[in-house]
Formats: sequence, C-alpha cells, structure tokens
Amino acid sequence: MTLRLRTLRTCLVWLVYAFLYVPILVVIVYSFNDARYTTEWKGFTLKWYSALAANGPLVDAALNSLSVATLAATIATVLGTLAAICIRRYRFPGRKVLHGCIYVLTVSPDIVMGISLLIFFIAMGVQLGFWTLLAAHVTLALPFVTVTVLARLAEFDEQLIEAARDLGASEWRAFRHVLLPLAAPAVAAGWLLSFTLSMDDVLVSFFVTGPTFEVLPLRVYSMVRLGVKPDINALSAVMFTVTIVLVLLAQTLTRTRRK
Amino acid sequence: MTQRRPFRTASIAVVWLWLGLFALLPNLGLLLVTFLERGESDFVSLVFTWDNYARLADPVFVRILGESLWLAAASTLVCLLIGYPFAYAVATARRGLRPWLLLLVVIPFWTNSLIRTYALIIILKSQGLASNVLMALGLVSEPVSFMYGEFAVFTGLTYTLLPFMILPLYASIEKLDKRLLDAAKDLGASSLRAFWHVTLPLTLPGIVAGCMLVFLPSLGCFYIPEILGGAKSMLIGNFIKNQFLVARDWPLGAAASTILTVLLVLMIIGYWLSSRRVALRERKGADTGAATAGRTPDATHEDGDGMTHGAHDARGRA
Amino acid sequence: MRTKLHAARAALVMVGLALAVLAATLFAGPAVAAEEKVLHVYNWSEYVPQSVLDRFTKETGIKVVYTTYESNEAMYAKIKLLKGVGYDVVVPSTYFISMMRDDGLLAKIDKSKLKNFKNLSPKVLNQPFDPGNEYSVPYMWGSSGLMVNKKVVDPASITSWNDLNRPEFSGKVILSDDQRDSLGVALKALGYSVNSTNEAEIKAAYEWLKKLLPAVRVFDVTASKQAFISEEVAAGLIWNGDAYIAAGENENLVYVYPREGVPLWVDSLAIPVGAKHKDNAHKFIDFLLRPDVAKECVEEYNYSTPNVAAQKILSPELAKSRITSPSDADLKNAEFTNSVGNALEIYEKYWEMLKTGS
Repeated sequence: MTLRLRTLRTCLVWLVYAFLYVPILVVIVYSFNDARYTTEWKGFTLKWYSALAANGPLVDAALNSLSVATLAATIATVLGTLAAICIRRYRFPGRKVLHGCIYVLTVSPDIVMGISLLIFFIAMGVQLGFWTLLAAHVTLALPFVTVTVLARLAEFDEQLIEAARDLGASEWRAFRHVLLPLAAPAVAAGWLLSFTLSMDDVLVSFFVTGPTFEVLPLRVYSMVRLGVKPDINALSAVMFTVTIVLVLLAQTLTRTRRK
Repeated sequence: MTQRRPFRTASIAVVWLWLGLFALLPNLGLLLVTFLERGESDFVSLVFTWDNYARLADPVFVRILGESLWLAAASTLVCLLIGYPFAYAVATARRGLRPWLLLLVVIPFWTNSLIRTYALIIILKSQGLASNVLMALGLVSEPVSFMYGEFAVFTGLTYTLLPFMILPLYASIEKLDKRLLDAAKDLGASSLRAFWHVTLPLTLPGIVAGCMLVFLPSLGCFYIPEILGGAKSMLIGNFIKNQFLVARDWPLGAAASTILTVLLVLMIIGYWLSSRRVALRERKGADTGAATAGRTPDATHEDGDGMTHGAHDARGRA
Repeated sequence: MRTKLHAARAALVMVGLALAVLAATLFAGPAVAAEEKVLHVYNWSEYVPQSVLDRFTKETGIKVVYTTYESNEAMYAKIKLLKGVGYDVVVPSTYFISMMRDDGLLAKIDKSKLKNFKNLSPKVLNQPFDPGNEYSVPYMWGSSGLMVNKKVVDPASITSWNDLNRPEFSGKVILSDDQRDSLGVALKALGYSVNSTNEAEIKAAYEWLKKLLPAVRVFDVTASKQAFISEEVAAGLIWNGDAYIAAGENENLVYVYPREGVPLWVDSLAIPVGAKHKDNAHKFIDFLLRPDVAKECVEEYNYSTPNVAAQKILSPELAKSRITSPSDADLKNAEFTNSVGNALEIYEKYWEMLKTGS
C-alpha cells in the first residue's frame, strides 16, 4: 500500500471513531452540568451522580437491562449461528420457510413484533417478566446473527468440511473444529450486534415485560413526557466508563496470557 | 443422509422450534388479522374482509411508503460509503488489534439511543457544538442550526445504523485472501481494477448483509426523523405504530406491515435473479478467474435460495 | 489461526466478566416482598417523586413497584390485552379514563377509603369523561397553551391561535405530533370545540393547519421546552409545566392563553379491574391526596394541582404564576379533551393527509 493510501486510511478510521464518540463525550460532559432542564452549560456539579446513587429503581432497571442483554445476546448468537449453518449446509423440510422467517423478523416493525408476542404469551398463559422479555429479545436479535454469519460462510470452501467428514469426524466435530473457527469473527460480530439491540429496545420490551421487571430503555423513553433527567447522563457516563475499563482489563488479561 | 447425525438433527430441531414458535406463528397470526375487521371491544372482530388491503391502495399510503423507502435507501447508501472503507481498514489492521477496534465501534451504542439522540441535538442545535466550532474556525459568521431538516435526519440515521453495516462487512472482508489481490496485481491489474474485479465480488455477501441489516430496520425507524427532523412527514413505521396505538385499527396496521414484508420478499427475489444473471455472465467472460477459481460444484447444497449466498451458489453451479 | 484463538479468548474473558456482573445482579436483586405489602404502580417515568414513594413505604410498609409507559395509547393497548390484570394503579390522561371504563378495564373507586378526597377542587371533578368520579381521582392537570418569544413579536399583540399565522413566525412554529392536540388547536382557532365530531369542522381544521404548514418547523410537543429555550422556534404549542420551566430559563418567553380557549388535560389515578392489591391502591391514592404530598409532587413538575388544600400551601412562585395557577379569566373557553369515539377515524384521515402533503 502506498504511503498516501495509508495516511488516508488512518484519517478515515479516526474520523469515524470521532463521529461515533463525540456524542458520547457530550453526554459525559453534560453529566457534570449544573442545570436541571437546559441543554446549555451552566457550570460544574457532581449532584447528578449523587442523585443517581439515590435513584434505586433507575440503577435496578440498568442492571436488569444488562442481565437480559447478556443472556439474550448469548442465546441469540448460539441459535443464530446454528440457524445459519442449518440454512447453509443442510437440506431439510421447511428450510426456505425458515430462511424467509429470518428476513421477515428483521423487517417486522417493533410494534408488530411486540404486540404479536404479547398476544402469544397471553395465549400460552405465561407470566410476563424476565423470561418473556428474554425470549422476545433473543427473537429480535437472532436474524442479525444469522445474516452476519451467512455472509461470512458465503464463499467458504465446502471441501474443507467434507474432507473433515471423510476423515471420520462427526458432524459436531466438523462444526467445532472447522466451521466454528471459520465463522468466529462473524459470531463475535453477531454477539455484539445482539447485545446492542437488546440494550436499546423499547417497544418490544414495553409489551412483553410485566409489572415487576423494568428495563432501562423503557424507563428512559417514559421520561420524554416530563423531560429527561440529567441523572440519566450520569448513569450513561458510569456505564460507559465501566465498559471501557472492562475492555482494557480484558485486553491486558489476554495479552498477558498470550505471553 | 442415512447415517445418524445427532448434531445436525438437534440443530435443525432447535432452530425450527424457536423460529416456528416466536416468528412463524405470530406472523401467521398477523397475516390472519389483515383479513379481519376492526373491532371495538377486542381490537379485531372475526369477520372476513379484503377491505384493509383495498384501503391501502391509496395515494396517501403510497406516498408514505415512497418517502420511507427513499429515506431508508439513502441512509443505507451513506452507511455503505462510510462503512466499507472503514471495515476494510479495520479488517486489514494488525491482527491482534482487530477485535478491539471492532469492539470500539459498538461500545458507543450501549448508551441509550434516546440519550445519544439528545446529545446529537446539543451538537446540531442553533448555537450548539457544531455551530460554535464552525464559528471559531471562521467558516460561518452567524450561529447556524442543523436541526429539523434532512441533514439532521441523515446524521442521526447514519449514526444509529453504522455498526449494523460495519460488523457484517468486517466479518466478510476479514477472510479475504490477500494472495488473490497480489496475484491480480502481479498480472498487471491496477489497484482500482483489482478492487473492482476481485475485492468487491468477494466481499459482496458482506455488502448485501450489511445493506439488509441497515435498510430493513431503518424502514421501521421513526423516532430519529421525529426528534431530529421535526416529524414533518409521516413514515411507514410511524403509520403502522399509529394504526396499532392511536387509531386502534389493528387490521389496517397489520396489512401495512404485511405489504412491507411482501415488498421485501420481492426485493430479495429480484436481487437473487439479477445476481444469478451477473454471475453467469461473469463466468462466461471468465476474465476474473479469481472470484470463482478452484471451485467445484457444491455437492451438498441445493439451489441457492437466499440473498447472501445466492450469488455463490449460482457461480458454483454455472 | 492465532487471531482467531486470540479473538475467542478475548471474547471468553468478556463473556466471563459479563456473566459475573449478571450473577451479581441476579443474586443481589431486590428480594420479592411479602405478597400483601406490595403495590404495582404503572405510570410515566418518575411522575411521582422517589421521595414520596419512599415516604409512603416507610409509613405503610407497602413496597411500591413502579414500572413505566411512554404514552397513553401504549398503556391502553397493553392493559386491554392483559384484561386489566397485573397493575394496581394506572394514571391515564383525560379521556382515556372513559375509554378504559367503557371497556370494563377499571374498578370503581371506593371513596369511603379516601378521607382526603374532599381536598379536590370541584373545577376538576365531575368532568364528562367520568361523571361523579366513580372511576378516577385527579392527580395533576394542566393546559396546552401558546408560547411566544418576545424578541420576535410583542406578546401583548398575541391574543388568538390565529396569530400563529403571522409572518414573523414563519418557519419558527412548533406544534404537537399528536393529531388530537394539533387538530384541536386548529379547531379552537376556528371557534369550534376541541372535541368536534363534525367532519366539516375537522376538515376546516385540517385546511387551517395546511395553510400554516409552511411556517411549521417541528411537530413534537415534547421537544418544545428545549426548542423554545434554544430559540429554534418562536411560537407554538407547549404544556404549561414545560412553559413554566422554559420561561424561567429564557426570559424572552411568554405563555399566552388565546381568547378562543386552551385545551385542558387531567392525569387521573385509577385502579384496573384485575388489580390484586386494591386496598393498597386506595391507601396510595389517599396518600397522594394529602396536601403536603400533593404540594411536593406539583412543585417537582410545575403543572397545576387539583388539590385545593395543596394550592393554599404552594410555594409563592408557583401560586402566583399565571402559567401554573391560571385565573378563571385565563380558562375562559378552555375545554377538556374528551373521547370522540368513532370520529377518531376522521381525525386520523385528515392527519395522514396533512403529513403526506395531500
């Protein structure tokens, strides 16, 4: 690669990261803003952090969101990857219907998915709450994993896996040792997308959750009518900082383990 | 096929069970509702009618659909133009760095979207961050506002949807065999030609996947056009939400949602047909051996039926 | 292969950490309280101050589980699908009370259990959406009035909704994205009722809005506070609670009661028919009717209180503000928004036409 192209590439990467992170920095800066209502800067304060510490239900909602998102992303990644492999490799009755379902799910407006799942849960007589929310989020995120993994598997060499099978590997071992390592980056990408979707979903969550289980996006969106309170900014800043610390920690851990 | 394959059977069963239960069943229910009449006491009443579809054959609805499709397509294009070079840069970065660069892309999205949108308002509003920066640079002499217009809407949509473009693209570009590119260059192809004839076709599945994951959700997305754009026109997502919640006309909302789905299926079929034709032509031309070299017909695989691997299947069989 | 292992390991560590967080949450999560001493409140986010909820729990031992919704419409759809089971107290606005009552979703309020009911103002009680207040107890009420920026126009010259058409406001008008709100303002401007079910009148309102359309910058009443403060807009619709805050932040902003009258709303406390803790619900509603508690709530949100006893001890700023404590003259021709029944379809039709420019 020529030097000029390389500089261009670095510039682009930095620009995109700047685009992604500037709004987050704004949120963090405004979490120290001494104003209850405006978007103007009125001076430094830590009061929103103490307000946050006193706001138990808000913190509970955030923790609920984290647990649902972690579990939902993991289950959706497993199911979504399996779905991609089934669609890609196996012939079985209803394969096309299944593949169609994946795309229908992505295009379904949230409100439609939320209401139809709620009706389904009511018909099944399930208690609304954590489990119904989890099932809905898995369903919401699954197609994103499948589409990503399918794209990764699209041009791969079928002979590899056939060779493994010829050598006597079971379907599971072929999956574990050939397919999965090959699909790994897409699987990881799928998990990240699923986690993001689950952390941010409002309308589906609204309909499928019950009177005892509240998640963060619902609580934030329901503030619109009365004005979003700045302790949300403080919460966002805390969550962001914790994430970054976790990532740095994980990176250091993997690096030392490699050595 | 005759041998026992517990893994295969189990996977198919689990996937079928989940999608059948949580996707197929509710959507069949939805389809049923589109043929029913609106009811006062239970939202729908069990009377068959075609009326809901007839009511959607209305210039108002067509305009709503057209506006939404245009907005979704344009934001998909913007995401692709930014996302592709970015994903390419990340996928060709130092190996150990790649997962972390990717993680850094999604971390901002774990902050609530409404909060991020409000942050965008702080940046875009009159006398906001963007305006102040431009003033400080001397590019404008008076405070400017970027709010409540197409610019704000596209900024918001691109901002929200970018990771859904970057991640599938990354997963697809990352496995690109660099040797193919080198071979093309050794054969005297310019960088541009090599990109056009080798990189692009090989990463096409990723492009298609990324575009789908941006285009489809953006069709239903309405809160960004609402908050940043000022809600001056109605979008399909808004229309459907209105039918379900405000007007409480579930059959009409369900019919609108079904039309959206049908439109999507037609687009998938159209894509598949055209990619097959392109693939056939390419194969006949045979000047871009890289894309198909060394491939044998896929024995275990039936005709391509889907978007992402349709192109591959077609090539494999040609 | 090494990157893949590396990535897998990184992923493993991340998932491990995440699972640790998860485990911590699940085990440290709030324990389920004893069956009887619970109350499931369904409301807008933080529409009751946390301090008030804490005080209620301290005095009665009843734990409040507070979950939220973002619109009346969404709440209505969900409660209706659940047939009124699951929640003990909901807070529907104005005519949603009559819709839910007609669907049999609300339980009757036992006023013998509400010794503070006498504190409520007769002005807000006994409205058409719930005659005799058999099903609802007013919690907070307010108006959707007209706000203007005096840098753009002399507020004394603004007396009518029709003044929105003045050329000074071109491109700087804000309206609501709710069809009943915006068409309601147009109906008022034309001298009709906000609850009109007459198609000709609604059509005239649509035409009034269509004429105004080029001047409109935003349809989003929830954004009006921020948009007025940063002077993105100079005239338009705003809720009085927001208007009070905006006027406090930007001295150029003035709240006007147009002579044709303003639309009014009430948020009322109600008990769904399937509530499992109806006694607790009554205790909670009675608690909110206490003058000191009602005062604390209204001072947090700056709307108007239906509680006469609370109004008497209100902070002087709120008590003398015409925005939060309107005079009878201000409310001349004012009207509560009521259910329009099947005429909603007409509103919907003209609203879609307006939004698609046809």
